[in-house]
Amino acid sequence: MAAFGYLIVKEMKQFNSNRFMPFVLVLLPVVLMLFVPLLANMEIRNVRLMIVDHDRSTTSALLTDRIAQSEYFRFAGYCDTYSGAVDEMGMGHTDIIMEIPAGMERDIGRGEQVEIFIAANAVNSTKGSIGGGYLSSIITDFSEELAAGLYAPDAPVQASGQESSGAGAALSGDVIGGGATMPLTVSPQFRYNPHLDYKLFMVPAMMIVVIILIGGFFATMSIVSEKEAGTIEQINVTPVRKRDFISSKVVFYGILGLIAFTLAFLIGHFVYGLAPHGGLPELYVGAVLFLVFMAGFGLIISNYSDTLLQSVFLMLFFVLIFMLMSGIFTPVSSMETWAQYLTYFLPTTYFVNILRAVCLKGSQFSDLTFNYIMLSVFAVLINVIAIVTYKKQR
Amino acid sequence: MDSIVVRRLKKSYGRTLPPAVDLQEPFSVRQGELFGIIGPDGAGKTTLFRLLTTLVSPDEGTATVEGLDIVRDYRQLRTITGYMPGRFSLYPDLSVKENLTFFASVFGTDIKTNYHLIGDIYCRLEPFEDRKAGNLSGGMKQKLALCCTLIHSPRVLFLDEPTTGVDPSSRREFWETLARLKDTGMTIVVSTAYMDEADRCDRVAMMKSGRFLVTDSPAAIRGDFGRQLLAVRSDEMFRLLQDLRKMPQVDRCYTFGDTHHVVLNDGCKSAPEGIGRILEEEYGHKGVSVRVQPATLEDCYMNVGG
Repeated sequence: MAAFGYLIVKEMKQFNSNRFMPFVLVLLPVVLMLFVPLLANMEIRNVRLMIVDHDRSTTSALLTDRIAQSEYFRFAGYCDTYSGAVDEMGMGHTDIIMEIPAGMERDIGRGEQVEIFIAANAVNSTKGSIGGGYLSSIITDFSEELAAGLYAPDAPVQASGQESSGAGAALSGDVIGGGATMPLTVSPQFRYNPHLDYKLFMVPAMMIVVIILIGGFFATMSIVSEKEAGTIEQINVTPVRKRDFISSKVVFYGILGLIAFTLAFLIGHFVYGLAPHGGLPELYVGAVLFLVFMAGFGLIISNYSDTLLQSVFLMLFFVLIFMLMSGIFTPVSSMETWAQYLTYFLPTTYFVNILRAVCLKGSQFSDLTFNYIMLSVFAVLINVIAIVTYKKQR
Repeated sequence: MDSIVVRRLKKSYGRTLPPAVDLQEPFSVRQGELFGIIGPDGAGKTTLFRLLTTLVSPDEGTATVEGLDIVRDYRQLRTITGYMPGRFSLYPDLSVKENLTFFASVFGTDIKTNYHLIGDIYCRLEPFEDRKAGNLSGGMKQKLALCCTLIHSPRVLFLDEPTTGVDPSSRREFWETLARLKDTGMTIVVSTAYMDEADRCDRVAMMKSGRFLVTDSPAAIRGDFGRQLLAVRSDEMFRLLQDLRKMPQVDRCYTFGDTHHVVLNDGCKSAPEGIGRILEEEYGHKGVSVRVQPATLEDCYMNVGG
């Protein structure tokens, strides 16, 4: 174990002598935590709307005004015909078309149902569906207000939607203002993230990215770069045991990973108000288990790569899968069924579950037993594979 | 007393590839001997070093270094050998001093204990103690690498092409250091591409395709050349080379400094004057000079197995 001491000292000296690494250690969590959650925002603004108004009545003007009040839409102009508007959409001048049928005011006056047609450009599917959703809910509100007699004769207006230019399914958010009064009203209350703030969904994800990059990437790159530089050769002819050599790297970069994680957590706590109920032991047990997994994983990569370039590409490949498929950015429940089964095999899934539950809900060990067990199973399994593949190398 | 004893040693890196090292005959290196290995690139020199320093294990055969088996006793062996790979492999991002301190602590010693071994080399490096090893010049890097290899006072030293890419005066200095180390009783095995360096060894092994072709002292190898060797000059050196190669009496001809060395065919013992006359009369060369040349190690190297 004496070897371990000076190997760690060596790692520290190397780390310090590098002008850029200590900088990355601080900058990475700060940038990821402060900026990315603000950028990765699912709220849509400035949706360009084109109106085809066949009615040209007071009611249609009221509806247009009503839409203009919302901050989500920007008028791209009026068009006389629907086909003309679709051409405009094809040119990329507008995102959503709303067609108001002729005789809307008259029909409303008679108490008949009126259909308003919405077509959304679903090339950018988020913008299309969310923008379409906003618009139909504004129309529904407007219809309710009409029904309540806020403007004039009461009559329902119905929005019917269509998404074009993409793999668009019909809008699901069409709500019908069926009559003068609403017999049932829904008032959803979103627990744990009351404002459905996408930032709070993203912040724990960023904490995982920090751990993956520093705890996993750095250690692997450091092992492989010693391979590439030939310094590992010089170590191998000394009495230093290889397991001491590798564990010194894993421990050193593991500690760095925890430091970066702590930094990320502090930013999450003080800037975004995450984990108001503590839960530190839960977080750190999860983080250490995950770091052990990443270390074993990185070791496997380093066993199979001889150059830095190779290892970075391999790492990136797997890290992308880890990040995209484990519900870090998009919920697992909205994936294809086969992909949902696949997520059971990705330990990031369990770690992200733990982080979100602890940070947002204040969950405790007892609530997350399954996740901790699975994370431990993976951590042990991958390290066994790492040791076996490592032994085969010689 | 033998320091290194090889009975048989074979190592190949792939089933389809020919073995990198394939030593069928036993050989040994005496304690305190300066043993040189010369051979073309790809002859298996580096692999032999890697085998003897326990970096790779042999497919077949065994060897002992200082009585320790290179497979069984590899951990013990690593404490008494020093290996300097051909490629600079110290930490470029650590300073000169940090590198030396690190390798000293790896062997459980410190710089002071063995300063007497490295003192005369390290004093040259001391002005640059805080410089990053990666920023040193080629010769300085070699000096530092040798210091790091010597810091634990190894009993056997393996040097893989230590002077490749080093200027002539540094090379001379380096070999003077080796001579001093040899005087302390250290066994030194060194591979080199320079024949003048091979001449300084006690014994030299010529290696090709993983085998030792000749193992003897440089003088004995030169003495065993056994063929007629001539040094030829004329006013038109390039045409001379082509013409010599056409002559039936000539086995091989190659440039050697400012002359061409000519190896005559076994049966052909014609005197130098005979060759000179043919060159002048049949090929029309002017200013021809032909003299008998005693074989150098390089001549032996050029003609062994080849």
